[in-house]
Amino acid sequence: MRITRNAVAGTAATVGMTLALAACSSSAGTEASGSAAADGGDAVETVKMCALVSDVTSSEALAFRDYYTDYIASEFPVEFVYSDELTDAEAEKTAMEGFIANNCQAVISFASADRPTQLDMAEDAGIYYAVATGALSAEEYETFKDYEYYVGAIGPDAMTEFQAGYDMAQYFIGEGDTSFGIFGGGIPYYLEMHINRAAGMLTALAEDGTTSYGGATEMGDILGKIYADGTIKIQDFESDVYELTGYLETWDFDAAWQASMAEMIAADPDAILAVGTGNAILGSAVDGTDIQIGDIDAYTEDNLVAMENGTLGFLAGKFTSINGPIFAATLSAVQGEPYRTEDGSAFALSQGYWTATSAEEFQEIVDADNVESPVYDVDTLSPFVATGATYDEFADFVGKYTFADLVG
Amino acid sequence: MHDLNPTDVNKETDVTVDTRDDAKTTATSTTKAETTTKADAKAASKARRGKLFADLAPLIGLAVLAIAFVLVGTSSGTNMGYAVETLINQSVIIIIIATGAIFIFAMGSFDISLGASTLVAAMVAGLVHNATGSLWLMLGAAILTAVATSLISATLAAVFNLPVFVTTVAMLSVLGAVAAALVQTTGGAQIRIDRAFSREYDTLAVKLIVAAVFLALCVFLFNYTRLGRVEKLVGGNPMTAKLTGVSMKLTAIAAFGIAGLGVGLGAFLTVLRTPTLTVTSASDIGMNILVAMVFGGMVISGGPRSRIYAAIIGGISMALLNQTMSIMLQGMAGGAGIAQMVRAVLFLAVVWLAASGFRTKVLPR
Repeated sequence: MRITRNAVAGTAATVGMTLALAACSSSAGTEASGSAAADGGDAVETVKMCALVSDVTSSEALAFRDYYTDYIASEFPVEFVYSDELTDAEAEKTAMEGFIANNCQAVISFASADRPTQLDMAEDAGIYYAVATGALSAEEYETFKDYEYYVGAIGPDAMTEFQAGYDMAQYFIGEGDTSFGIFGGGIPYYLEMHINRAAGMLTALAEDGTTSYGGATEMGDILGKIYADGTIKIQDFESDVYELTGYLETWDFDAAWQASMAEMIAADPDAILAVGTGNAILGSAVDGTDIQIGDIDAYTEDNLVAMENGTLGFLAGKFTSINGPIFAATLSAVQGEPYRTEDGSAFALSQGYWTATSAEEFQEIVDADNVESPVYDVDTLSPFVATGATYDEFADFVGKYTFADLVG
Repeated sequence: MHDLNPTDVNKETDVTVDTRDDAKTTATSTTKAETTTKADAKAASKARRGKLFADLAPLIGLAVLAIAFVLVGTSSGTNMGYAVETLINQSVIIIIIATGAIFIFAMGSFDISLGASTLVAAMVAGLVHNATGSLWLMLGAAILTAVATSLISATLAAVFNLPVFVTTVAMLSVLGAVAAALVQTTGGAQIRIDRAFSREYDTLAVKLIVAAVFLALCVFLFNYTRLGRVEKLVGGNPMTAKLTGVSMKLTAIAAFGIAGLGVGLGAFLTVLRTPTLTVTSASDIGMNILVAMVFGGMVISGGPRSRIYAAIIGGISMALLNQTMSIMLQGMAGGAGIAQMVRAVLFLAVVWLAASGFRTKVLPR
């Protein structure tokens, strides 16, 4: 017997009918349950909150996840559903489709390949959407700020990223270092935060009167040159005081990349300034040398070990519970009290890093903020979850993010 | 050569014997013949059952997956209306590209560069749209790029007398570099087309119309024209095809041309669905196409058992499986890994089932 057209058509019709009937019956059921929820009730309903993530393996990503799934989920009426590792816009869209089909009530996004599409999908589906540890570009914010279901974004803005790079370079300059390598990470992919951080580093070096990058000494001009080149050209760095001995970018890990890394290490700079993932990428390579790494990453076990053994000299890091406020705002929105700015727009709030330059400082931060005992704990967050708090109060709460503010 | 059937058996056992001496011998021979023919008939019947099962396995699989999807979805409170729409959205591009690719696979050839080709065609289409704002020029650019890319593979194979697979491996590498270069022309890491435009045309209606037109064309060409028969003949026995005067080069070029058309249409829909393209976009399309075809019962070695419906059955089956797994494993740590393992096991099972029906000494008819 062959598969005839009739057999295929018959099966297709049967499958189609089954799916269509299921779709119709389920739609009715969904509407009914939606109505019941809208009618209200005293029982606390568990909110299904979904997270889009582009990284599921780094210790930073795991710490963030543990904070939500282990701590927050045990203290608030919320269930978290995480996506797989999303590598591109198509994967993000597929994950969003899955979240919507599976009745997620809100999405917290850590994935940024195509935020406009994520926002559109959430708005069309009527589910709340928030950006964690990041920000929309100014243009995107103007486009989406009035979306009803866009909660807002909390994360380092461009100036905060610039400042983090600047502070890192200033620290090593203060230590008397004069020769540097730079790890540019996602600069060729025009990853804005990495470009801003690198611009901060070069701007700090250019404060010396003899130093310039492609003739530029000011923040705006240096940023412009990096954007124009899509990379950092060490031959364009001129200085009588400092030396750029090497530059590495991307995470290709192929033979050419390995050779570039070996060359940068062999040049024996005083420090390597990394726009991110510095210790993870270069830690083992500089082990046994005098080269120190400056990094912008997170307060993880690996980074603590690196700081203890002297490999990591400077860390501007996201602390474990940094995503507490965006969770509170999202849950508040789902429970009927979204925070909106004075003109009714979604919020865009900046939050920066905590800095450590010694193992002692690092340990102090880890002791003060961890999954078991986070600084953004239930007592700190609860006043901002559907309690009638105003936007200004919430913004003030988010703005006090420094170690001194939160730990004292 | 043909299979034995019950009529043959009756004819052979219906022998009249006149002499007594011969009778003993003949009786012995008849008994032996009866035993042999009974065994042959049993074997033939078993083979027919196996073939029937192998033929129907993809359809049975599709029906089982659909039922599982509905049961799992409804019991977990999934929004089935949206889930069914999603199912179509996620499978239609794979179905279109895989259906076109069946012309290549029917010849016993293999194109590993389909995903990369889709990406480059989508990027060119995106750039053309950004330059002109025209939907039709964007569609034309996607098709032209994909067909040209496909024909380059086929022509290189013809000119240098290489296996087509080898040239597609080379094209995979070249297309990756082309995609990176295309992205750099934007001065950024991505090619992004206007959001409002993509939202306007990224609809079920557009997808279903494009799919229906292309699938109808492919079914017609594959089942009702000389081209389809020749493709299967080349896949089944290239030497016979050659001796009967079939031009292997022209056949390959035609197959790659049709596959290119499918890739072009798939790329067009890819741009509409995902208006932000990076060098990693469409990276899993190549593998998904292969898996979909196998799930649909396509014989990887090509030949007369190739079915144009395989991509449709397989594409929908895969989407159903992915959706069901996604519902079942949501929120589970390591869910993605479990889903991948289940897919791998099912993939092997389908290939084994499909092959088991054709373990015969008789040439396929």
